[in-house]
Amino acid sequence: MNDIVNKVQEKMGSLTDLMKGIWDDSLIEYLVHTPTTKDALMHLKYWAVNQANVLNFGRKLVSKVGLMGVKSILENNPWILYLLKSDTLVRRLAKGKTGRYHESICVLGEALHLGITELLEEMYFDPSRLVIIEDMLPPDLFQAMGLKVYNLESFGLFLPMLAPDSVLAYIDEAENAGVNPDSCSLPRATIGMVKKGHLPKGLAIVTSNLPCDSGMSAYSYYRRAFNLPIYHLDVPFNFYDERAEDFFVKDLKDMIAFLEQHTPGRMDWDKFREMCINRNRMLEVELELWDMLRVRPAPLAGEAIWLSHFWHYVVTPGKESSANYMKILADLAAANLEENTPATINENYRTLLWNAPFFQFIDIFNWAENNYGITILMDSLSYNHYEPIDVSTPESMLKGWGRVVMQGPMVRHNRGPAENYIDDLFRAYKQFDIDMVWVANHVGCKSSQSLNGMMREQCRAKGIPLLMLDYDLIDPRIVSHDSMLRQVEHFMDNVMKAKKLGQ
Amino acid sequence: MSKKYFGGCDVGSTTGKAVILDENGTVVADAIVPSEIDPEETSIVVLEKACANVPELKSYKDLAYLVGTGYGRNEVAFANENISEISCHAMGAYTCAPGVKTIVDIGGQDVKTIALGDDGSVLEFAMNDKCAAGTGRFYEAMSRIFRMDLNEFSDLSLKARSVIPVTAQCSVFAESEVVSLLAKRNPPEDIAAGIQKAVAKRCFTLLKRIGMQPDITLTGGCAKNTGLVQALSKIINMKVISLPVDPQIIGALGAAAYAKQRHSN
Repeated sequence: MNDIVNKVQEKMGSLTDLMKGIWDDSLIEYLVHTPTTKDALMHLKYWAVNQANVLNFGRKLVSKVGLMGVKSILENNPWILYLLKSDTLVRRLAKGKTGRYHESICVLGEALHLGITELLEEMYFDPSRLVIIEDMLPPDLFQAMGLKVYNLESFGLFLPMLAPDSVLAYIDEAENAGVNPDSCSLPRATIGMVKKGHLPKGLAIVTSNLPCDSGMSAYSYYRRAFNLPIYHLDVPFNFYDERAEDFFVKDLKDMIAFLEQHTPGRMDWDKFREMCINRNRMLEVELELWDMLRVRPAPLAGEAIWLSHFWHYVVTPGKESSANYMKILADLAAANLEENTPATINENYRTLLWNAPFFQFIDIFNWAENNYGITILMDSLSYNHYEPIDVSTPESMLKGWGRVVMQGPMVRHNRGPAENYIDDLFRAYKQFDIDMVWVANHVGCKSSQSLNGMMREQCRAKGIPLLMLDYDLIDPRIVSHDSMLRQVEHFMDNVMKAKKLGQ
Repeated sequence: MSKKYFGGCDVGSTTGKAVILDENGTVVADAIVPSEIDPEETSIVVLEKACANVPELKSYKDLAYLVGTGYGRNEVAFANENISEISCHAMGAYTCAPGVKTIVDIGGQDVKTIALGDDGSVLEFAMNDKCAAGTGRFYEAMSRIFRMDLNEFSDLSLKARSVIPVTAQCSVFAESEVVSLLAKRNPPEDIAAGIQKAVAKRCFTLLKRIGMQPDITLTGGCAKNTGLVQALSKIINMKVISLPVDPQIIGALGAAAYAKQRHSN
């Protein structure tokens, strides 16, 4: 009898936990706890727009591939179901925020939903034009050729934001097949996805010698696994000179010729010009936004800055919608600035995040903001030094676009002299009036380990408080979320001598 | 009571330590007791023991300011303030040896390395609190195999003519490995030296994570282990300096120094 009672209690306990989990993630719970009614209505408005967007995509997908086609896509690409959590992600990011800061996250949420559905359309609607590219290559040039394109590694980054355990099975798959477990988890997860056949094949692959050895070497496997023609872009090591730029332009021309040979894509220079103009517009708006971030306390912060940049520059660059979204963010920041309204009233510590952000524990930023008043104002992936692309000729556009690839933040930081990595940090530190630096110390990134050692010495010499936060880019089993929080707590307690808000 | 006294109480996992400072910052009393199950009880016992050495103090309640530290610090509800052991070890080492820039603190159940600024502030730290390897508990287990106390074990390791590597990182596996090595009639002193080297290597790994600068010192109970101090000096190729006070009470000393500072403010 006792056994039965215990089992019933156990089941009831599990059910209660499950119900609590569903409630905690639900829209209603979010709306109930939103600081103001205005915020709740704002959130509801964007939620409706996002749902309409998803439904519209579902309708288009069914009409394109039929119900059986949808079933087949879901069976062969089960990770797509994680994308349904995008809505929860927006609520996680927006929790506790209010006013225009809250709205900026809603805007970002809309951009994420739109970007995801557009990406899925690219991947599954027209396989006869599909090309696979490496994640350091922006997709706009390929889209200007009329090709459908997806970054092979993008899901390894994006899925853990939605659910930290979403790619673990793929990492294990790659390790069981003999991939070195000490290498970066991003190529491991991608190899696992490819090995399981969970990503569409396409017609060709374009990759480069970026950003690191493990990422680069994984392409020899992808080539064999997909059995596709591959083009390797050779980004020069010393890229700050005319000779390197000319060399890379020639390389890009050869790549275009390769794609025209192996795919139905043809270069449309007018379309490319339009995309470059959108890029230039986005850059102009972002620089305006950066200027506003220099004010203390900042009018916007956190994901509105770093995730927006990542999304619009890496996933959806060159699109008019991306430039528009960035403009909305800048307008929100400007309105806050005009009214002297800070993003958060508790901006106690302005922080710079160096190295790739904590994709599998994106909630840490909100936690830090709510617990200590730590605002992330700039990060190494966002801190670019792009120049506007000269759109006067195809040659000048290729040169400008090539510069974006060669001098992109992560590329610049992981190649070339250490000064690229370290000087950028000190420049950003000064520019945004930063109080402390967080280094996202991805334990699988061999490229940045030695750089971080050099950076530590220089930070100490300059008296800059530095937190080397150990984590793994996408595998939370290596350093647990709890351990990451404790690292921040210890740092705030011992180095910053800071108490939690309200203590 | 005409004079004011300031207390620091470090409630560790293995021992409780207390230090009492007078208004000049001089250590007037200290005490070390084995930890009880209840951290609050440990703190009361150790504080009372230290207070017994100061005639003007009838009880710890007469202290002008008391700071608690160590893993059980949050249970010391009667302390005026709780400060983390990382900050207290840094403050303690700085108080008695201002030239110290790097600390290796080997506690009962964790190992920490701490980088200090010129003013004794914590610049960075790294810790291993996930496993017992290289901690005081590890040494207890090892010396038990040799049927010695820690001092005898330390002395034994200093007699080694060569070093037999102990490769297991985990305390449990290391215990099995050491038992096997002894059973194979290897010289005990060489095995003991191998154990010291293995711990020193683990410390070195943690030291690399914070970037070591001289002067380097060891704190915590294991700092009394001369064999480890020598092994660490050899591994890092740098002199490990001795502190002028018992290294086991550095955390409590730092807590007492904070108590004096906080009271003045």
